[in-house]
Amino acid sequence: MGVAAAALDYDAELMLRVKDGDGASFGLLLEKHRASVIHFLYRLVQEQPVAEELAQEVFLRVYRSRASYEPTAKFTTWLFRIATHLALNWLRDERHERGQERLDDGPAELPSRQVLDRRPSVEQELVYRVKLDEVRQAISALPEKQRTAVLMHKYDEMEYAQIAKVLGCSESALKSLLFRAYSTLRARLAHMVSI
Amino acid sequence: MNCLDSSNPETLVAYVAGELDQDAASALERHLADCPACQSLVAEQAAVWHALDSWEAPQISPDFDQRLYRRIENESRSSWWRRFTGAFSPMPLRQVLPLTATAGLLLMAGLLFYRTDTAIPTRSHVQTVRAEQVESTLDDMELLRDAM
Repeated sequence: MGVAAAALDYDAELMLRVKDGDGASFGLLLEKHRASVIHFLYRLVQEQPVAEELAQEVFLRVYRSRASYEPTAKFTTWLFRIATHLALNWLRDERHERGQERLDDGPAELPSRQVLDRRPSVEQELVYRVKLDEVRQAISALPEKQRTAVLMHKYDEMEYAQIAKVLGCSESALKSLLFRAYSTLRARLAHMVSI
Repeated sequence: MNCLDSSNPETLVAYVAGELDQDAASALERHLADCPACQSLVAEQAAVWHALDSWEAPQISPDFDQRLYRRIENESRSSWWRRFTGAFSPMPLRQVLPLTATAGLLLMAGLLFYRTDTAIPTRSHVQTVRAEQVESTLDDMELLRDAM
């Protein structure tokens, strides 16, 4: 992305204001991207306290880098690159420390399911949780790059070009990566008609 | 239209994600009508897509921002202190020692001068006047006035 295109990026404008000492613009960036960054990190590391801690570090790094910030890429590309880097480092350290045992653990915490019209029965709730755990484990079992690509594509609705930039690969390589990732997920999850 | 396989990796994913434009989607749907294998693939991809939809992230801690701003504030403070101490750190010892000795001597001289110039009043200089004394003086003055 060139400087001209980046000029259209409102986030980059806000970041340039942060660079000029406008703390309120940092607050706007935080407000806008807090949830997407934390949720992305949560699905990647699958532990909410860790996700929040890593997100703190992401925004701290953004703030620390304000003086040297140049809008050479879309702001969210930069933001998710930092988030991905931190999360993958954490996962590598964690795997190094504990091996793969975490994947076999039960879910540390699952969000309670929101049903608008009626409360689910105990049985429905149990089935939901079991299936959700299958989803969680299927995602965890993907190779790092595939997992990160799927999360950004599915939950953050990022464009292929942007995901490719975050992951440092070409757009066509990303498409193949996603195809392989979804093929693996289909093999593991296609039996779920709906949960 | 060709079948959905690795030769056109984005089509299946993009179709189920609703990312295909109208023309491409229509072309694929015409192909699906005659291709059970691709129909099955689309159904499986849709099942995965919906399964992933159900994975909600937990709520964010209400004090997330507060914690972040506290860290930023602490970091700003520590960086100020680092800058302050950093200004002295590159100074070699042979420059620091004479400066410290001179500053110490000046401080001692200043303290001595201050102590001799401004003597603190001691208790012996303070005259305490009691209430009874005042009353008796006033009574004496009253008697003298009556006598006159």
